[in-house]
Amino acid sequence: MAVFIDLNISYTADKKRLQNIIETAAHLGYSTVAINHVVDFQQKKQEIGKPQCISDLFEQFPIVQGKSRPIKVLNRLTVVVSEASHFRTTNEVKLYDIVAVFPKTEKLFHAACMTYDVDIICIAVTEKQPFFFKRPPVNGAIERGVFFEISYVAAIKDSTMRRYTISNAHSLMETSKGKNVIVSSGAEKPLELRGPYDIANLGLLFGLSEGDAKAAVSTNCRAALLHGETRKTALGIIHTVKKPQPTAKRQEEEEEEGPAVKRAKTEAM
Amino acid sequence: MWHADNMSEPASYERRVFKNTSVYHYMKIYLILDSEDKMLNAAHFKQMIIAALRDLYGEIGAAFPFDVLKFEEDTLTAVLRVYNSGLVKLWSALTLLGSYHSEPCAVRVAQVSPFLLALSGNSRELELD
Repeated sequence: MAVFIDLNISYTADKKRLQNIIETAAHLGYSTVAINHVVDFQQKKQEIGKPQCISDLFEQFPIVQGKSRPIKVLNRLTVVVSEASHFRTTNEVKLYDIVAVFPKTEKLFHAACMTYDVDIICIAVTEKQPFFFKRPPVNGAIERGVFFEISYVAAIKDSTMRRYTISNAHSLMETSKGKNVIVSSGAEKPLELRGPYDIANLGLLFGLSEGDAKAAVSTNCRAALLHGETRKTALGIIHTVKKPQPTAKRQEEEEEEGPAVKRAKTEAM
Repeated sequence: MWHADNMSEPASYERRVFKNTSVYHYMKIYLILDSEDKMLNAAHFKQMIIAALRDLYGEIGAAFPFDVLKFEEDTLTAVLRVYNSGLVKLWSALTLLGSYHSEPCAVRVAQVSPFLLALSGNSRELELD
């Protein structure tokens, strides 16, 4: 079973509130969340700072519901690009686990899809989509493994925003056909979070198929995370897991007591 | 159509296979309100859901039947019954419900099942080791 991931928890300086949101996310069944730091260069005095150290946040991370494992928290950077000079891959950018851009114009959207070294491209949800999604950049992004993100918090807060969210999502789906789409929260309060199955159902409203809607909160998010990890390496990533070798004594015990099929497979190696 | 099949003789159980899909889905939901001093009864609760449906789907889209089978006022937990065709609509309306009387609120969907009996326990609340 795929694990559920929410890649957009809004960063607040209020540590208590952040803890509260992450606890709620763990309770709802999200195995991984990403704290989103937004940088908009149009506002004054904006610069990409170093991400907050995750281990400062909790002494003990909350346990994910039904998983008996603690929740994983990541850092994410979103750069709002309204001019081509806004996005550059600097050393600060590399400190973040995931990098997203929010292109404001069609030209920048094209550049983000085709050339920018990012993992996620955000889609406007609080305003009418200012440009049309053309097929070449969208296909280019899908080929490069870049994902499109729709955040649902605006749809919960306000009915006008809800209209924009749904209509922008539909126009994206028309071009992307439901491929490479992720749905995330963007929550600023615990009450704005929704469960992963709720979001999989909400995806149907955005024009996704049932399978794509579920992938939008699980496998696609994981793919985006892995895409983010490749930025720190040359080409790709391989995970290796060391299997625990049973000690000689335990082995004997197992041979005596345990049925043959249930013995660990490591001894044959 | 119920189909019972007794396995071999000593078996003390009976296997029942439910061949037709159920016409209903049942949902166990609970409401979280920001302020705790609000009192809510079953009628208010259903009114709230109908308002949420109408908000999202309009007069025509919201015109499908659903029932509140049970509502506990102290825990704000409810069991809803809805025809399969209305499930996606009802569920999405509950998801996008964000405020009640201009107070922030959230509806948590605990379980969804075509069988009412399945709501009697929740495997996700089991302690795993």
